[in-house]
Amino acid sequence: MSHRLSRRRLLQLATASAAGLGLTACGTDGSGGGSGADGDKGRITVWSWTTAAEALRGVVPSFERDNPGITVDVQDVGNPAIWDKITVGLASDGKGLADVLHIGVDYLPGYLEKFPDGLTNLSRFGADRYRSEFAQGLWPTVIGKDKAAHALPWEVNPLGLFYRKDYFEKAGVDPADISSWDDLIAAGPKIRAATGAQLLGLDKPGTTPDMDFFQNLMQLQDAFYFDQKGRITLGSKEAVQALTIIKRLNDDGLLADTAGQGTRKRLMSQGKLATSPDPAWAVEYLATKFPDQKGKWRVMQPPAAVPGGGRSVIVNSTYLAVSESSKRRKAAWRFIEHALTKPAEINRMFKSGGVFPALGSAYDDPMFSAPHPYYGGQKVLKPFVDTLSSGSGTTNFTGDYTRALKLASDAQSQVLVKGADPAGALRDAAERLAQQTGRQLAA
Amino acid sequence: MSSVLPERASVTEKSAGRGASAHAGRARPRRRALLTRGSVPYLLIMPAVLGFAIFKAYPIVSSLWISLTTGSGTDRSFAGLANYRRLLNDPLFWTALKNTALILVVQVPLMLCLALLVALALNSAKVWLRPLWRLGVFVPSLTGLVAAGVMFSVILNRDAGLLNWVLSLFGVDRVNWLGSPGWARVGVVLVITWHYTGYNAVMYLAGLQGIPKELYEAAMVDGAGPIRRFFSITLPQLRPILLLTVVLSTIGTLQLFDEPYVLTGGGPDNATLTVTMYLYNNGFKYFDFGYASAIAYALALIVSVLGILQVRLMGERR
Repeated sequence: MSHRLSRRRLLQLATASAAGLGLTACGTDGSGGGSGADGDKGRITVWSWTTAAEALRGVVPSFERDNPGITVDVQDVGNPAIWDKITVGLASDGKGLADVLHIGVDYLPGYLEKFPDGLTNLSRFGADRYRSEFAQGLWPTVIGKDKAAHALPWEVNPLGLFYRKDYFEKAGVDPADISSWDDLIAAGPKIRAATGAQLLGLDKPGTTPDMDFFQNLMQLQDAFYFDQKGRITLGSKEAVQALTIIKRLNDDGLLADTAGQGTRKRLMSQGKLATSPDPAWAVEYLATKFPDQKGKWRVMQPPAAVPGGGRSVIVNSTYLAVSESSKRRKAAWRFIEHALTKPAEINRMFKSGGVFPALGSAYDDPMFSAPHPYYGGQKVLKPFVDTLSSGSGTTNFTGDYTRALKLASDAQSQVLVKGADPAGALRDAAERLAQQTGRQLAA
Repeated sequence: MSSVLPERASVTEKSAGRGASAHAGRARPRRRALLTRGSVPYLLIMPAVLGFAIFKAYPIVSSLWISLTTGSGTDRSFAGLANYRRLLNDPLFWTALKNTALILVVQVPLMLCLALLVALALNSAKVWLRPLWRLGVFVPSLTGLVAAGVMFSVILNRDAGLLNWVLSLFGVDRVNWLGSPGWARVGVVLVITWHYTGYNAVMYLAGLQGIPKELYEAAMVDGAGPIRRFFSITLPQLRPILLLTVVLSTIGTLQLFDEPYVLTGGGPDNATLTVTMYLYNNGFKYFDFGYASAIAYALALIVSVLGILQVRLMGERR
């Protein structure tokens, strides 16, 4: 083989190298200098997704009527696409971002931590006067490094346990006797024997991170991946207890595998699941997706993770924020204020899209204590409002939530797929999280 | 080309004419023409070069700089090789690299052999309805990657998937395609193979049809059988195309993202986590752009080295 490169060979080599280098164009630059303005007239854009976007469109007419000179364009950019769009926008100094952003609790603390100048300080517009108006535990999430509010809570999702009343009756299980997961695990085999249904479903291999249940079991014990000081508690005894409950469900054959597109929906429609621990939005979701099961479902507060323990959990919440790069920050703030602090408006959105309001005064509306025909006339929203009024602790998601989620999901898969020991799997995950984030492990 | 363009373009001659009237009697310095036989090719590739410079070269250089920094969002500080050092000690990066390499070593040879067999079959005059078969083979590569991923997640579903149903007809137990680390890898390989085999087969088919018939006729006169003809004529003649497909498939597999992202999410327990998925997680989920850029550069280096090696090993010998 000749060592002198022909032009053709050179071109081949260059092509191969260039193809490789093309990869490196994936990075995102985080420098530049976009600056917004406090304009209060003109057209503002709002990014949200699916039903929430539809619900937001419902408040636009009343807002535009009360605020002449401002027009609102609500755009459904889809979920999870919205996170990539917002992340890229924030990383490039706000270029191309909408004026108003709909952000989930799983992303908001990360944005506030990593992009401290990305979302507008709303305290200077007077947001602080609404501090005590929202469900307990939500306000700390909107506070940035500068101790100011950078978003307003919109949606809160308290947890309920949806259960098949007909299955419980058939198996001779009284829902009133179920106060902890121990009780439910004990009743599970009876229900399975009588109906063939397993208790609940989880994506065991983690094809999508299905960690709400694990998180809820931790939250029922006032614990999470991080404590209030931001130290790692993923290896705590509460976390081990949560994963042990999941392992017991699996070992007893009470846990269905929902991996794969549409599997969970299929299992639900076939009546293969006797319970479904779900947030408040599932009230309307079940009613619309499984109309043939009308009258069979009921809701109770979730069982405690430890006998005698708490039974209130806020699964997650979502917020509206204003991008710092917006040229009409004041107009954007006005829209948020109009949509999220007026009971009539926020309930209008709840009725249209099932987005459960975080605004406390919204619950005075009679619909929150009305019987629901799908649930056999049960006042189905009441358990959720009870959960919110009994108060649940603030969950500290921190800016490293997504890393914790990934590692916890891996640990859960190790336990469910490979039979690993929960304590060991979580200890490894906690150590890895400490190594990745530089955070301390809580004692 | 040379017949179309004179050595000095007419534009210059006109200007020379104007110049002649203005500076009558003086010797003019010869101005270089814009359009000459030498410059036209460069002008023709200029749009592509400009596009590359703006949309590829700039991000590539920018990404190199970011890989040498740490910090959050817009607040970046120079960190030297810290991200690269972290990479060497990151078990998850090595897991992702191992998974990617495993898929590469198993899937690329499997797919290319399959593609060659398909191409040979489609090239045979004995096959009926050849155009229809060719279309059928090529259609999967027109499917969107995400759509293919979603479709296969339904097909590979353990309890209600088509594949397990078909297997059950032959008395095979249900396979946990997405739920066990080994089978999940097989599942990913299956999707990529389904998606790209036809594409490569069409390339081979084009190559096969470019081989002169006289070579085969001469070989048959010399008494060479079909196997001998395949190894002595077909394979050597296909070498440039083989090289192209090997290099492209290697690059493609090393950049594997969509299929495992949709199908398995990198699970179970990171069994199908690929390097680009890990890059994506670090950049777009953890907002750690410095580290994500370092991963991108590490992968680019691996792709380049492999590409160069393949070209050197398989390229034409003189």
